Amino acid sequence: MTPPPSSTLRRPEALSVTGRHLLDRRQFFARTATGLGGVALTSLLGAEGLLGATPPVIDPGHPYRPRMPHHEPRARRILVIFCAGAVSQLETWDYKPELIRQDGRPLVGGPAVTFQGPAGNLARPQYEFRPRGQSGKMISDLVPHLGELVDDLAFVHSLTSKTNTHGPAENFLSTGFVPDGFPSIGAWVSYALGSENQDLPAFVAIPDPRGVPQASVNNWAPGFLPAEFQGTSFSAKDPIRNLLPPDSVTPASDRAARALLQEINRRHLERNPDDGSLAARISSYELAARMQLSVPEISDLSSEPAYVLRSYGADDTANPTKASFARNCILARRLIERGVRFVQLFNGAYASGGALNWDGHNKLKEQYDVHAQIMDQPVAALIRDLRQRGLLEDTVVVWCTEFGRMPMFQKGAQGRDHNPDGFTCWLTGAGVRSGVSFGGTDELGRKAVENVLSIHDLNATLLHLLGLNHEQLTYEHNGVSRRLTDVHGHVIRQVLV
Amino acid sequence: MRNDKIQGVLTPGPDLPSRARFGVGRWIRRGGLLLLCAVGAVLADQPDRSDGQEHWAFRPLAEVLPPTPRDSTWARSPVDSFVLARLEAAGLTPAPPADRRTWMRRVSLDLIGLPPTPEEQEAFLRNEEPDAEARWVEFLLASPRYGERWAQYWLDLVRYADTHGFEVNTERPNAWPYRDYVIRALNEDRPFKRFVTEQLAGDTLGEDAATGFLVTAAALLPGQIGQDDASKRLARQDELTEIVHNVGEALLGLSVGCARCHDHKFDPISQRDFFATQAFFAGVDYGDRPIRTPEAEARRREAEALKPQLVDVESALSQFEPLARTGAEPRRESDPRRNEITFAPQSVRVLRFTIHEANRHPNLGVIEPCLDEFEVFSAGSSSTNVALAAAGAKVTVSGSKLSDKHRPEHLTDGRYGNDHSWMSDEVGRGWVQIELPEERAVERVVWGRDREGQFADRLATAYTLEVGTKVGDLKRVAFVPPLRLAVSPKRNTDRFAPVTTRRVRLTITACTTLEPCLDELEVFSMGPSPTNVARQPGVRLTASSTLPESTEHRLEHLNDGQYGNGRSWISHETGQGWVDVEFPGDVTVDRVIWGRDRTGQFTDRLPTAYRIEVQDGAGRWLEVAGSTDRRPYAPEDKAPPPAALVGLEPGERQEAERVLEHRKTLQRRLTELSQGPQVFGGIFKSPEVIRVLRRGDPEQPGDLVRPSRLSVLGSQDLAAEASDPERRQALAQWIVETPLSARVWVNRIWQGHFGVGLVETANDFGIKGALPSHPELLEWLAREFRRSGGSLKQLHRLLVLSATYRQSSRIDPQALAVDASCRLLWRYPSRRLEAEVIRDSMLAVNGRLDLKMGGPGFNLFRSRGGLDGFPPIETFSGDGLRRLIYSHKVRMERDAVFAAFDCPDAGQITGRRRQSNTPLQALNLFNSRFTLEESDHFAARVRADVLGTASAEVQVRRAYQLVLGREPEPDEARAILPLVKEQGLAPLCRALYNSSEFLVLP
Repeated sequence: MTPPPSSTLRRPEALSVTGRHLLDRRQFFARTATGLGGVALTSLLGAEGLLGATPPVIDPGHPYRPRMPHHEPRARRILVIFCAGAVSQLETWDYKPELIRQDGRPLVGGPAVTFQGPAGNLARPQYEFRPRGQSGKMISDLVPHLGELVDDLAFVHSLTSKTNTHGPAENFLSTGFVPDGFPSIGAWVSYALGSENQDLPAFVAIPDPRGVPQASVNNWAPGFLPAEFQGTSFSAKDPIRNLLPPDSVTPASDRAARALLQEINRRHLERNPDDGSLAARISSYELAARMQLSVPEISDLSSEPAYVLRSYGADDTANPTKASFARNCILARRLIERGVRFVQLFNGAYASGGALNWDGHNKLKEQYDVHAQIMDQPVAALIRDLRQRGLLEDTVVVWCTEFGRMPMFQKGAQGRDHNPDGFTCWLTGAGVRSGVSFGGTDELGRKAVENVLSIHDLNATLLHLLGLNHEQLTYEHNGVSRRLTDVHGHVIRQVLV
Repeated sequence: MRNDKIQGVLTPGPDLPSRARFGVGRWIRRGGLLLLCAVGAVLADQPDRSDGQEHWAFRPLAEVLPPTPRDSTWARSPVDSFVLARLEAAGLTPAPPADRRTWMRRVSLDLIGLPPTPEEQEAFLRNEEPDAEARWVEFLLASPRYGERWAQYWLDLVRYADTHGFEVNTERPNAWPYRDYVIRALNEDRPFKRFVTEQLAGDTLGEDAATGFLVTAAALLPGQIGQDDASKRLARQDELTEIVHNVGEALLGLSVGCARCHDHKFDPISQRDFFATQAFFAGVDYGDRPIRTPEAEARRREAEALKPQLVDVESALSQFEPLARTGAEPRRESDPRRNEITFAPQSVRVLRFTIHEANRHPNLGVIEPCLDEFEVFSAGSSSTNVALAAAGAKVTVSGSKLSDKHRPEHLTDGRYGNDHSWMSDEVGRGWVQIELPEERAVERVVWGRDREGQFADRLATAYTLEVGTKVGDLKRVAFVPPLRLAVSPKRNTDRFAPVTTRRVRLTITACTTLEPCLDELEVFSMGPSPTNVARQPGVRLTASSTLPESTEHRLEHLNDGQYGNGRSWISHETGQGWVDVEFPGDVTVDRVIWGRDRTGQFTDRLPTAYRIEVQDGAGRWLEVAGSTDRRPYAPEDKAPPPAALVGLEPGERQEAERVLEHRKTLQRRLTELSQGPQVFGGIFKSPEVIRVLRRGDPEQPGDLVRPSRLSVLGSQDLAAEASDPERRQALAQWIVETPLSARVWVNRIWQGHFGVGLVETANDFGIKGALPSHPELLEWLAREFRRSGGSLKQLHRLLVLSATYRQSSRIDPQALAVDASCRLLWRYPSRRLEAEVIRDSMLAVNGRLDLKMGGPGFNLFRSRGGLDGFPPIETFSGDGLRRLIYSHKVRMERDAVFAAFDCPDAGQITGRRRQSNTPLQALNLFNSRFTLEESDHFAARVRADVLGTASAEVQVRRAYQLVLGREPEPDEARAILPLVKEQGLAPLCRALYNSSEFLVLP
């Protein structure tokens, strides 16, 4: 085992000695700068194999200080577009002409019973596919705006999940584990890398305007990681809870309470000058105060020009859900712009018979017509906007969903059941190869058969792009060195530049 | 450099991180070697997995004697000798003792999770007896608050929650008896052996609630599991795995649960070990089980004894059932606008109008009746309304649903219409009483529901008008009888004027579906002790027809004294049939009671049109009752009000009221008794076959396994045919005996008191876990714990009265440089309080904490689940002011204000909470409605406490005493007073609630 390269920076005990200095803002930012500058050194050490699998060392006084990745990162930030309810790969990205030919026939050797009950016959994709972009990649008419971006995207067609139930599968996608209570990928990334913006949370989750996803807060929970690394949830519509006191508190009373708290805490710290944890408490109030200014500012879209609102569809008065989701997309861009490390943007809400998310069991086409209207244009505009602002240079974007859907309709229904055996996600942005497709399902889209991949591989790849080795990013919990990727995962190099 | 090979011979040094192999090189450079020599090695070679028996935690408990430190004056207990010897070896000295005020606050927050009151503190500080501390500790340990505080640590471990988890996260309504069990067991200081055995096999010890331990994890409900068999097998295997997690990590401090898919990566636990452990639970299902406490048994017996009484009461009550009316005597119909009742002129001072029934609202069914005005007209040519408030009339009513439009005084205000009316607060009933200022000759009453004609609902359709000169002496002058109750599938009474007869016949002419069914037909004799004469010997039953070849439905079931579909009669004709009861001699009867299924299971085949006839001496049939005066059957109706007490003589009415009250009491008691407590715990069955599963996958079964101890702890198989309780009892026995469990347990208690255990990884005593900071102390404590019979409270006494615990928490920079994480305990390691302690203390300080113990948890959310998710309750009152351990804990969804303070989410097992500092904590505690409202209450309490003293100085001093247990320093008071004078106390209370001093265990 190798001693860490810089004992003063990496040892919390050493920092506690100087706990009283943590209040010194100038020194605080000086340290921050050191942290950023250290990246190059770390990657050098990493290249020489001098870095062990040491988990990140968190300075309790400054848990959000930027920390060094394991290797030179391709991306500094990540945007996850999470489509809840399981988007059908067959109606979107995974073109299966054989399924058109076999429409209405039984699937020979297929399962008689799937998640919800008896299986019906094979059903052709409910939308026409046509070649898009320079590459001529076949994409359906369900997502025309995203289809235009096809030359920038890297498709992975052979993902698999461990479960066919929404909640556990969302857990699996977001945490790498099926049970409740494991840390989410955003928490892992914040734990590993800290934040580049000391006025905003490192990890923001933006729920869909229609409601929370099925695994709800577990998608952005810290699990057993320290609470500092949990996702903070807010959207363009709903602010952070308790960001501001109720209106009944007058500004004068609020100022008085602040002044009194400062006075009481200052005296207490003076009596306990060496206690770093007290200084850390005080600095957490300081960050909270900065967030009280920065979060309303970033959530206020009034400064966005009309053409931006239009391009996202945020001005679509005829479709308020779409407009509201589009505003979340603009919020996501603003957060990325300010250096928020991890943004998780949800499209689709809770189980609702497919009415409010992508769970098309019974009336797939009717419901997907609605959902795609909401998702397609805003997400496409978001990616364009990020690219135009140069943010895709150091931001990776991933579009994902918890599993896919069966090539058969359910018996007596016009929709498809859950299929964890082969589905599609795509990536774009920093470090991602443009216009490639990797892996594949069988000719009917039932199962992944070519370069079969798991969620662990996807998560390993995302960490890799952020400069993290998924096997080295660990946290001791109940006797196990826990990882986002459990004991699995391989970086999908074929989709990386 | 790598130190893996020599790691085992090291006793960890002061600043050795938890994973001992990191940074060892630098540790040695920093002088650790000296320490190493001084302390001596108690640990032999760190083994590979192959010879795991040699691992320190798996060995028998060592016999150790407390060392003799150089300073012989400091130690108060053997614990201190161990600690001091280590400090001396490291060249460190203990911190000076904390002052008594600090010690008292520390031990109170530590043991019961609440600060002392200023009065308790004053009394303690005044008491200078040598046993003052010991007495205070006894007081705390005897307080029920103790169990409420320390149970939380155990509930964190087992991830207790009141919901099932995963996406639907539905309520687990009977989880809480397990939470209450843990609190009770700790308060009673149940010995360790009993505590463990009850949780694994409480069903065999009369402690069913304790088996909740087995099933605390999240579980998929049947509807969430895929319909395919593989999904079902996977869900079952996941359930069993969760039990192994609880047992392994909570009781053994080993991650046995991690060996499901492959042999443990570090510890000597094979995949076979995992499944052999699982096999102890092969007969355990998740589900609600009845709690068979002696109390529950007594309740069951009491309920059995009460049931016959209820039958008697029902029968007594049927004497007062409104008489059935036969023939076509039309009822007077009420007019929503105006109704006039005239009677012979008489002298009147009091009038009472009693409503027995109201019409049906088209959507809402029968609702509360309404009257817009009640007018009383004097007799004579110049007749005027004498019931005006303006004329001195007084109105009283049975009860009112109050609003601007509906008030009792509107009855006599001379104004008409719904906007000036009275509404009863009872569905379909109510009364109005008018007292005139003086006796008047009266001949007419006029009443209406809405004389403006807008509303026709809420109309009285049956009523009695009584008049008289004083309240106790009224005479009925008008009576519109109510329709009798609609037929009920359960029980129907038809009462009629007493009649002497030899035959009674019930003829059914319509029923809800198919052929009509009756489960019993009872005919009651008249008199003080009525009997069902249909059960007399010699009674002969005949019927129009009977469903053939049925054992359940037979004619003789009609008078067999047994209820229910299984003992009933069904006619053989669709929609009709009759039965005839012939008595051996004359009987005088006054009611028939019949039902379709008195157990309430079946509601089909219900007779809806029928008549009851008796035969007179001349052989003629006379109709005595029927369905024509009943309300039409409407199964969707909410239960209509009981129609009893109508048309009774005053004496009868009094008696009926008494019986009704008695019935209400009996029914309430029976409901209480029948709600036998249940716990979400183990449902036990014959054990399933357990096989080793390749890669933990139920679709890849391998060899059969029998229940067996972990091989590293001396493998011992149970017989394959061992029954389910034998398996769990054997496991409990073994767990209690293994030295590992005693070490793990005392270490948890140490961790509770000092923040970090002697072994930092409380849930991992395996090979990769941390080494003990004081190995000999751990051995000594484990032995001491066993010697005391496994008494937790004895262990608490030992620790909190020690000199180690008494140290000040003040930081010595030199000691900090040597041992930054304070593993050697050169001071008392202060730390931020847990979420529960913060919230409970806020409420204790402002005097609003509700100390009600036990029972279902209070809500933290306005609604649970679905699209709205879990919107938090922000303003708390009533049960919401109980201790946070009594909240309804929703898995994964955490309290909106306090969960940010590192509350576990009940997803995975939590062996030790962290003390993080996040901006969300600051935002929640500073800005939440909870804090602001409780600050206001706090300010109000302070003002009340110093009643008569308006001085801000006095108020500030009281606030400080309550929240911090001290007075403000003089210059501190000077600094804050101007703001308090300007903005009041509330901002100060809000600031104090947020102060580090309040939030930190001192």
